[in-house]
Amino acid sequence: LQNFWTFWVTSPPGKPKLTSCRSPEKETFTCWWEPGSDGGLPTTYALYYRKENSDAVYECPDYHTAGENSCFFNKNDTSIWVNYNITVVATNALGSNFSDPVDVDVVYIVQPHTPENVTVTVMEDKDGPFLRVSWEPPRKADTRSGWITLIYELRVKLEGEEEWEEHRAGQQKMFNIFSLRSGGMYLVQVRCKPDHGFWSEWSSTTYIKVPDYFPRETSVWILIAVFSAFIFFILTWILNLKSNSVKHCLLPPVPGPKIKGFDKQLLKNGRSEEVFSALVVPGFPPTTSSDCEDLLVEYLEVYTPEEQELILEEGKDLQEGCLKSKGSPSDSDSGRGSCDSHTLLMEKCGEGEGKEEKHQERAQKGKRQQKHQTGWEEGDVSHTREDVLSPDMSEGRVKTWPSVFSPLPQYSSRPLDHQGSLETARQLCLSDSLFPPPSTSSHLSYNAKEGLALGSGQQEFYLGKKQTHPSNPQSQPRWHLQAHSDFNISSMDRKQAASGLQLPGFRSTEYVEVQRVNQEDMVILQPLFSSSCQRDGHLQIGQGEDYSKVKGVDSGNMLLLQREVEVKREEEDGDRYSCDIQDRVTESCYTTSTAASSQVTGKPTSCAGTAMPVQEEMVLAANGYVDAATMLL
Amino acid sequence: MPENFRSVSAVWVGLVCLLFYSRLVRVGAAPICTNGQAGCHILSLADLFDRVIQHSARMHGISSDLHSEFEQYFFPSKNHIGRVNRICHTSTILTPNGKENAQRLAREELTEVILKLLVAWRDPLWHFQQSIAHHHDFNNFSSNKALEMSDMVHELRKGVEKVAEKMQMLGIISNSVNSLTSPEALIPSDRAEWRLMKDYVLLYCFRRDSNKVQNYLKILKCRIIPQHEC
Repeated sequence: LQNFWTFWVTSPPGKPKLTSCRSPEKETFTCWWEPGSDGGLPTTYALYYRKENSDAVYECPDYHTAGENSCFFNKNDTSIWVNYNITVVATNALGSNFSDPVDVDVVYIVQPHTPENVTVTVMEDKDGPFLRVSWEPPRKADTRSGWITLIYELRVKLEGEEEWEEHRAGQQKMFNIFSLRSGGMYLVQVRCKPDHGFWSEWSSTTYIKVPDYFPRETSVWILIAVFSAFIFFILTWILNLKSNSVKHCLLPPVPGPKIKGFDKQLLKNGRSEEVFSALVVPGFPPTTSSDCEDLLVEYLEVYTPEEQELILEEGKDLQEGCLKSKGSPSDSDSGRGSCDSHTLLMEKCGEGEGKEEKHQERAQKGKRQQKHQTGWEEGDVSHTREDVLSPDMSEGRVKTWPSVFSPLPQYSSRPLDHQGSLETARQLCLSDSLFPPPSTSSHLSYNAKEGLALGSGQQEFYLGKKQTHPSNPQSQPRWHLQAHSDFNISSMDRKQAASGLQLPGFRSTEYVEVQRVNQEDMVILQPLFSSSCQRDGHLQIGQGEDYSKVKGVDSGNMLLLQREVEVKREEEDGDRYSCDIQDRVTESCYTTSTAASSQVTGKPTSCAGTAMPVQEEMVLAANGYVDAATMLL
Repeated sequence: MPENFRSVSAVWVGLVCLLFYSRLVRVGAAPICTNGQAGCHILSLADLFDRVIQHSARMHGISSDLHSEFEQYFFPSKNHIGRVNRICHTSTILTPNGKENAQRLAREELTEVILKLLVAWRDPLWHFQQSIAHHHDFNNFSSNKALEMSDMVHELRKGVEKVAEKMQMLGIISNSVNSLTSPEALIPSDRAEWRLMKDYVLLYCFRRDSNKVQNYLKILKCRIIPQHEC
């Protein structure tokens, strides 16, 4: 059937086409053509050629050597530098068809075979291994006689990569490849080209494996890395050793609050109620007198003409009677150190109070008095300082221990007249009525005599004093306790205030300290303010706990007083007090007052700095309190 | 300190210039000594051969460029060229058409053929370069190439003559090589269409002849100095 159809659709052959002619060595050449359609009939092809400038037509000498549809010209038929005009003819039964002629000059159609004997070897160098590739020209190309000049090209790539790396080798038959990857598998191929011609095919791939080696550059880097690590470790170790000092240097420790009963943890938790409730010491007001004994060792010996020894013991009643009422619960300590806290003072001195009710009672009283105090304080402010206003009036109280001193064991030699001391204590306690408001210049004189009889049993004098600021000491009201034989309690004298004695019904206790003894043998007491820490050397009143304690009266009619170091603050410049009362060095000053005849003289002792001359007979307690019997301004 | 910097840089520049100059002087082409004059840098025969072969290679490259340029712009259709009878004026010079034929020639004969070819092309190329420069049919690049080609033929001839002299001096070849007179050039025609055709044929012919020269020189070299890159 197919033949039937072809029979009907036969036609002359299609036009053949010469595809290419190539010479491998410039001595022979081959031409290939592409047959067109055969037209359904058996078609024969013939190649004819003409040489340059000649009309003679020759047919292809060899149709078979080069394969199908090819014509091979051997050496005898090949002329170099001669132009061939080649044509292919397709012929079938119906006709023939000529292809387009092609001009060929053998010189320009040279395409050699691939290079042969491609060998790759790994060679060693001081910089590392490298590849040496060597090859030979294709067998038929005669480069030895100079007939053909071949230039070579090779390409390399790592196994698995896509991109080849090509290198021109020129006419040399050997090439070196450097910068190899350690342990890599390389593929190498070579090809060649005559100086005027076509490139050959790539040779078959040669595989070569590079052995593992250690590049020199990496070793240097490793050395550097090891060295740096070593130094780093040494630095870390040193830093670790000196971590404390480094920490100190970078992050200086932040002073924390030194409030007794203050729990930082609670504050961090954020519950203020618990924090403040924790401040409330359960054992406060102290019910036992034992603590107070530790805190207060004050002796005030007052020598009377009758040789009445007033050794005031610290007793329960005494404590109660003379305890100041710190009653203000809302005593804010802002701006003050912990030493300034009234609470602390209360803690230390309030042991003798014993009963909480008393304390509370006093607290209430204290509250009541506050208004008075306020007025008094304000008046005080107007007189004394400009910026007096402190938020808490209660801090301005002058706390004077009326005469709460517990006899120390050392003083056992002293016969203590309890009863007498009690009375004396009472007497020493400054009653409210006796003391005028601070605004007025009031003199407080302490009358040691019975005439003192300041009032009913418990007399508490509350001198509402503003918390003193380190302002000019001159403006500070001075409280002098003038100790006469007849201890007159006069009004407190303030500098600019002159008013009559008015003793508000204070119930608070006051603290005075012996300031000095004037010429008339008067023990000048200085009120002791609750603010314990005196920032400035000048401020005396209210600066901390200046107080003098009457230690006792010795046989030589000496009034033994104990005084705090801070007493002489005015003489000291910027001395700082240790705010912690308990930490106070037993460096309290003490004054001994020699009682001459019927007078009690007191020698001021200077308490300078922290070093205190201590008399052996005097046991100096941390806190000394002197009953502000007589206050002189 | 700008003054210091300037002086230092001047010194540096001077040093660099001195270095370059010295290098140039050293690498510069030493004159080829005739009859072994003293003080010249005598080139070896191998070096001479290398020089002339490089020269001929360059010459052939330029001629190929010009030919393909000409063919591309002026004769796009190959059929048109095919009908033209390309008759080179050097066809009268007998040149070997194959390897065996070339190897069969003696060295002197081969040298003579080379020289004949080079001599034959001196005048036509000069004319060709003149016509290109005057008729503005080509761009500057082509006219420069034509000029260079013309000069190169001249230089190459001199170089080959030198090689022949050296060989004769060395006794490699006999003294039968003579300076040759150039054959008659093509008759110049002033007709426009012929002029273009003439130029094309000229370029075609010269490209082939320069290839012949290069090849013959290589054969000669590898026959005389086989160890040197053969």
